[in-house]
Amino acid sequence: MEQRENGNGRYVRYHVETQPAPEIEKWPDRFDVKVGKFGLAKLLVSEIFHYGFKHKEAITSRPCMYGVFSGPVGGFAPRPQHCVGCLRCTTEFPEFVTVSPNPERLKLGDSYFTFNIVNAISYEAEGGMIPVKGAGYRGKFGGQGWEGMWTDMSEIVRPTRDGIHGREFISTAVDIGYKPNFLVFDSQGQALGPVPQVISLPVPILLDALPPSTASEMTWKIMAQASESIASLSIIPLGAILEYNLENMHLLPLVKPGEQEALELLTITPQMLVMQGWDQALFDYIRSVFPESLISLRMPFPSSERLLEFAQKGVHVFHLMANYHGRGENGEFVMDLIRQAHAAFVQAGIREEVTLIGSGGMIAAEHIPKAILCGLDAVALDTALVVALQGRFQGECLDYETSHFTLPNNLNVEWGVQRLMNLTASWRDQLLEISGAMGIREVRRMRGEMGRAMFMVDLEAQSFAGIEGYEFAKNS
Amino acid sequence: MNSQKTVEQLIVEKHTANLRRGFHLWAERLVEAPPALGDYRWTEELILSTYYQAEHGRPPKNGMEYRFGRSGGGFDVLDFKFLPEDQWLSSSEQIDLSLPLNKRAEGNKIEIPIPIYGGGMSYGSISEQVMLARAMAAQRWNTFFSTGEGGYPNSLVKYKDHIITQVATGMFGVREETIKYSPIVEFKYAQGAKPGLGGHLLGDKATTTVAELRESVPWVSLFSPFPFHSVYSVEDHRKHVDWIKTTNPKALVSVKVSTPTDVDMVAVGSYYAGANIIHLDGSYGGTGAAPEIAKKNIAMPIEFAVPKVHKYLMSENIRDEVVLMASGGIRTADDIAEIIALGADGVVLGTSELVALGCTRCSNCERGRGCPFGLTTTDPLLSQLVTPEWGAQRISNLFESYTYRLREILRRLGLGDMRALRGRKDLLRYLGKNGNGRSE
Repeated sequence: MEQRENGNGRYVRYHVETQPAPEIEKWPDRFDVKVGKFGLAKLLVSEIFHYGFKHKEAITSRPCMYGVFSGPVGGFAPRPQHCVGCLRCTTEFPEFVTVSPNPERLKLGDSYFTFNIVNAISYEAEGGMIPVKGAGYRGKFGGQGWEGMWTDMSEIVRPTRDGIHGREFISTAVDIGYKPNFLVFDSQGQALGPVPQVISLPVPILLDALPPSTASEMTWKIMAQASESIASLSIIPLGAILEYNLENMHLLPLVKPGEQEALELLTITPQMLVMQGWDQALFDYIRSVFPESLISLRMPFPSSERLLEFAQKGVHVFHLMANYHGRGENGEFVMDLIRQAHAAFVQAGIREEVTLIGSGGMIAAEHIPKAILCGLDAVALDTALVVALQGRFQGECLDYETSHFTLPNNLNVEWGVQRLMNLTASWRDQLLEISGAMGIREVRRMRGEMGRAMFMVDLEAQSFAGIEGYEFAKNS
Repeated sequence: MNSQKTVEQLIVEKHTANLRRGFHLWAERLVEAPPALGDYRWTEELILSTYYQAEHGRPPKNGMEYRFGRSGGGFDVLDFKFLPEDQWLSSSEQIDLSLPLNKRAEGNKIEIPIPIYGGGMSYGSISEQVMLARAMAAQRWNTFFSTGEGGYPNSLVKYKDHIITQVATGMFGVREETIKYSPIVEFKYAQGAKPGLGGHLLGDKATTTVAELRESVPWVSLFSPFPFHSVYSVEDHRKHVDWIKTTNPKALVSVKVSTPTDVDMVAVGSYYAGANIIHLDGSYGGTGAAPEIAKKNIAMPIEFAVPKVHKYLMSENIRDEVVLMASGGIRTADDIAEIIALGADGVVLGTSELVALGCTRCSNCERGRGCPFGLTTTDPLLSQLVTPEWGAQRISNLFESYTYRLREILRRLGLGDMRALRGRKDLLRYLGKNGNGRSE
């Protein structure tokens, strides 16, 4: 369901309302700008002699267009918060002006969630815009994981680019739940067997439970309201829902084995309950008490065999988790784990009957279409949410239980909700860009479209085979 | 003297002199290189060595790396298998770098003396001064440069024999006379930096003169559609080619496409639609403005696309009837030679020309008034930081250095003709991800 209905039951096109939500905690500037006072003074004196006071404008004309030297005393007190790293000042005055990447800024994030990704999310959460910049790509050629994957594009066919401009539609809607491969009807036209049971989301993005180090009434309220505002779902521990009286239809209680009694305290019937790890007793209990609700099994990526076993036991929604660095329990990268899980269900002929939600290591806008191409139906965001809320990593943050983040002291619900709305809007717009480029009109159709994905390992083998040293390097 | 000049002139002179001095000091390593300069693809040394080449017309001899970057893939992990020194061609031997741009039996025969021409950068994305500099350099080298999407001011008409008129999806600036003038007309179906997306010119750069040429509204952002709405098949594409041929029967037709997984099929389709030149623009190409997500994640790098297309054109027995030009992340003479060894006939350069003019690759081309160095801007003051004559000399010098290095590479490979290098993957070697072990 791409559209939402307003109170009159009329069609409303899906749209996330973005608003500026600037930083509430000052983060380190991107660049350090240092100006040698003596060099600057010398320059000013020589320019006064050269131009004379008659041409004051020429003397005071600064090399910076962005306002770094536009304070009351110019270069004697530079304002690095305005620096965009163009380097014009240091080109003009290399002897006494230095522009360096700010080491404090480089410390944001961790070894996986690099400062570049922090910068991107910071921009996206602040205004909900797509990052647009000049000049070509600046990063590494390819690499491991998501870096070694490219999405396809369509050169002349499929005019879906129009959709971005409104004349034609690209749907980002996805279905979460169960869809039987076929329906059986009796002579009266009534369905005999199982019928579809799905939740349609307008975006393939859910909000995953925030790690315990960030948990507070404030953060859960932000999650609850944000998921309502974007018409998606947020996964929140059952205890937090009960403790803080969170109530809306976009909350998915995260239930652990042994919490059956607490479930009885819920005042709402959730659209879906999320079971943390497999527990037959809990599964049976939820099915009996909440027959209308879907059940999702949230667990680390299991083997293909185990996945099929769970499906046979009646699990239709899987939330498969890698750690925050995108690694499975045996070290495989989440991209490969998704492909394996998807392929297992395709080979078993029941892919349409199950939903695959993934989390862990999907921390940039491009990871969403890439994960969907690999086989996910939707992605549950985790550490990206923390960064959108200006959370700081305390050391390496690998997993849900042990990772430590600190959030701003002045965090507030209104700001937090807007930041998550902005992030979602930006990522959805970027998903539209990728879909448009690929000529895919529906994100549902993107799922598992491996023919529209390109992997470095394959491309390199195709193009560099026969070059001396390649085979050796590939195999070593 | 100062009293006779306007304040604006004094300001422009001051900053121009300072900038040129700075380029020189850095290139000569007379001052420490700026810590924030460079990235994996265009390392600080590549940028500064390009400044050096633009100043001297020769590769640097001060130990600065001018051949490859540190991206960990593609060109940066390839090297040549040079012959032992006693088998090199002698320095007195003539090495031919020329490239015919029409390999079909019919049509105008155009040959350029170097396997290089300038890629599309539109008026609006770059200044008139930079366009003129490119035009003058193209004229000196008897090669071409592409207008990009947006037409060109009258000041460029005298260079029309060296201009490739681009027809892109927004059709901005396309006029009958510019098609009639052009020896080559280029259809831009897609751009490597933003494959599957149309061109972007943000409002601040759509000045009144830019808007007039584009027949648009000043200060309003221009987003070209994607794709051509009149082209959804090879047959439609053929109609496009026929349209150009009707307007200018002598024009060669180039088709600029990006690098999707079926790029080989696209190339063959373009050939059968009548293209003389197939121009592949890889995903690491330059842009004046593009969504960051598009730069890395959509379509394949040129190093992978060229061998794929070359192989397919060979298997279709049409390889020698079409010219394959490559662009998108080609930074150095070594990159040029490597992509030709992978199967291209020649290359189309863009970013490296801008770096020769002082670009630091800061990625602020689209922001506000545009480039602080006067390159990708239409701001009346900023654009004066580059004078066409200075710019043309810098680009010419860069080409001079490239041809020097290309001849050196061919000499060491024992080849007397650049055309003999095409598709010679057997002359390459793979260095591994760290790129170590490169020959001197």
